[in-house]
Amino acid sequence: MVQFVVDVLIRAVDLALIAIGLSSVYSLIRFPNVALVQYATTGALLALFLQMIGLPLVVAGLVACALVGLLAVVLNIALFERLLRAGPAIAMIGSLALSMLFSAIFLVTAGPRPQRFALDIKPPLRFLGARVTEHQMISVAISALAIAVFAAILFRTDLGRCMRATATNSVLASATGIDTRKVTNTVVFLSGVMAALGGIGLSVKGEMSAQLGLDMLLPVFAAAILGGLGNALGAAVGTVVIAAAETLVTNVNFGPLFGESVLFIPAAYATATSFLLLVVVLLVKPYGLFVSEVKRV
Amino acid sequence: MFEFLIHVAIMACLYGLLALSLNLQVGFAGLVNFGQVILFGCGTYGASIAFSHQLGPVAGIALGVAFALLVAVAFARLGRNLGADYWGIATLAVAEVLRILANNETWLTGGAQGVGGIPLLFGDMPRPAGPLATLGLCLALLLAAWWLCSRLTGSRYGLALKLMREEPQLAVSLGYDLSVLKTQTLMVAAVMAALSGFVFAHYITFVGPDQLVASETFLIWAMVIIGGSGNHLGAIVGAFLMQFLFAFVPFVKDAFQLPSEYVAAMRLTLVGGGLLAFLMWRTQGLVPERIGGRGNG
Amino acid sequence: MADTVLAVEAVAKAFAAHKVLTDVRFRVRAGEIVGLLGPNGSGKSTLLNVVSGFSRPDAGEILFRNESVAGMPAHRIARHGLVRTFQLPSMPHRMSVRQVLHAGSREGAGLFDAFTPRRGDHSQVDVLLEQFALTAVADQPASSLSGGQKKLLSIALALRTKPKLLCLDEPTAGVHPQLRSRMVELLRAFNGRGVAMLVVEHDMHFIRELCSRCIVLDRGEIIADCAPDELAKNERVVEAYLGKSVERQKVLA
Repeated sequence: MVQFVVDVLIRAVDLALIAIGLSSVYSLIRFPNVALVQYATTGALLALFLQMIGLPLVVAGLVACALVGLLAVVLNIALFERLLRAGPAIAMIGSLALSMLFSAIFLVTAGPRPQRFALDIKPPLRFLGARVTEHQMISVAISALAIAVFAAILFRTDLGRCMRATATNSVLASATGIDTRKVTNTVVFLSGVMAALGGIGLSVKGEMSAQLGLDMLLPVFAAAILGGLGNALGAAVGTVVIAAAETLVTNVNFGPLFGESVLFIPAAYATATSFLLLVVVLLVKPYGLFVSEVKRV
Repeated sequence: MFEFLIHVAIMACLYGLLALSLNLQVGFAGLVNFGQVILFGCGTYGASIAFSHQLGPVAGIALGVAFALLVAVAFARLGRNLGADYWGIATLAVAEVLRILANNETWLTGGAQGVGGIPLLFGDMPRPAGPLATLGLCLALLLAAWWLCSRLTGSRYGLALKLMREEPQLAVSLGYDLSVLKTQTLMVAAVMAALSGFVFAHYITFVGPDQLVASETFLIWAMVIIGGSGNHLGAIVGAFLMQFLFAFVPFVKDAFQLPSEYVAAMRLTLVGGGLLAFLMWRTQGLVPERIGGRGNG
Repeated sequence: MADTVLAVEAVAKAFAAHKVLTDVRFRVRAGEIVGLLGPNGSGKSTLLNVVSGFSRPDAGEILFRNESVAGMPAHRIARHGLVRTFQLPSMPHRMSVRQVLHAGSREGAGLFDAFTPRRGDHSQVDVLLEQFALTAVADQPASSLSGGQKKLLSIALALRTKPKLLCLDEPTAGVHPQLRSRMVELLRAFNGRGVAMLVVEHDMHFIRELCSRCIVLDRGEIIADCAPDELAKNERVVEAYLGKSVERQKVLA
């Protein structure tokens, strides 16, 4: 049981970073930016590259995150501000097109085969009866810290206040003197950083592949929409729900229900579960499980 | 080379059907469908299931069309309360779930390995007569679909769709039931896509879940946007252009002696870059929509 | 009452904690043109939205030609013959004025009609274009019209559906005086042919020329239901627009 919880948390925490980034930036840019998951892969790729040329892992990670944050802002200004004028659907399609370009770049730089970070192999530790590696624990700690820092920014700083004001009513916020464009781009930067960190975290725990971002596209979206787009905290909860559902669905023995001793749902259906959850949520509660300030679905 | 060109032309016709189908949804009814490939898949799997159970091609068409209509109605039901961009994500999610199902339910679909040995169209005829006949059939289908779409959109029904797409509130105030209009459009488009799938299955003689990846939908999207949405000729032009470009990518790769992943990367760049470029700088596509004209047309 | 076209009873509507409409009741009889007035924020647009199905009432009953329509979807209410226009009529970019007018009628606009031989009703559209002075711009994109022309077009569209009750949301706002008088003529003409009307308006000239009766809303409640000439004498109406006696003196001083 503890192993289950630990597995869920380990998986959830990186997805959460990206989902939170997606959710928060949505409240300002008003369209679901599909390219965000590719920022995650970019972060992982950059960090990998920086480590390969000699930088220590932590430094490589930090630099990669900062660079991706900047990239996110540049792309927002160059592409999305313009696409948004034609409406959120067009902007979303544009972000999808951008994702494809990213995929192309990943294919030719990283190649089609997965890569791994250079980490010392250490035996796993025992934590409350569950097996966890040291790297997993550090990675989870860093990601959790990042979420905490983001939450602190959101709720305790001026920037966070401006951000929440702009998200609720950008016209009004602008009228009170808030530079909404700057606030938006700051949040875009932060979401890029978070996405990159999530990507690095996932790659450190497993491997980095060109498909990393796209594989998590729907689960991340499912988590963000479940929690209510625009609601950063909701996104975190949503990720836990998705991760739990995925892990549960494939690890629970449904045999007894059908009069058989062993009946497991194939692992391939793990992701299908989150997609189905997403569809069900959209059908039943389009604004997400928690009421968010952003009421446009 | 001649046979290769025939092959590309056949594929272009089949994609043309898919582009016409998507264009009907996007360009006329404002339905941002990202699950288009699964409607195609209904046709391919209709053929494969009929073949696996020795039911004959007529049953295959019937099955394919029936599945597609079911999915279309499900999509329409999803769209009742969702904004266009969210509905797009939902259709993408449903398409992915169905693909995963096809990939795993070996008893029904042949699983990941798919079903081979499906009877080839005009297989009894010698080459190149057989492929030429197939091309003739596909061209005929394409032209028939073009006629159908033009008739539909040139009529008062088409005007109703346009009104719904641009000013939904106005359409409602005049008594139009938008969900019925959308469902009808989805159903017509679904039948076209399913037919394309059915013919595809009997030309490639093999049906598998890898044919239903989301990137196929994105390719069709690129065809519609680049060709010019809201315009049937544009959809066909887009389909032929992208298909021919795609077909020659491997030759380019060989000419420059690039590694094999460059084929996928180049195609991704064509699709993503093309989509993005046209969305940013030429939203009307290569063949723009005509405004005005005589009343009923 | 056999000749009551619209009966609104005890209708209430609130957005979150804010009560926009409270216990609204009034009638529109066949052949009448009723004005709906009130200061800004009084709930006129909400009332129109509720009656036409674009908003659900929280309570109350709405009978249109003796059929209950409260909570019915807007398109169904429109099909029953209650058609409304919008305050800011937005028109399509990619359709010409002529095409928009053609789209205004649902007859012959079904899916299967697309494949049956066409019967043109061009003449009807041409007549409407003529009546509403839109012939010159008939083949231009509908969104390129001036604000006033768009309002005329939206009224033409509504009338094309052959409604029994036409609900107009501020038809003269932002409209050139010349177009305004044409609007009065047209509305009178269609009223003569049996179309009852409910007009939300601020322009008193327009109201006096057109309406036989006025309903005044203030903060979600009906405070008057009388002929236009009697409005100025109604203490509550004057108060609603100009404030209470004391403040009024200050304003008028």
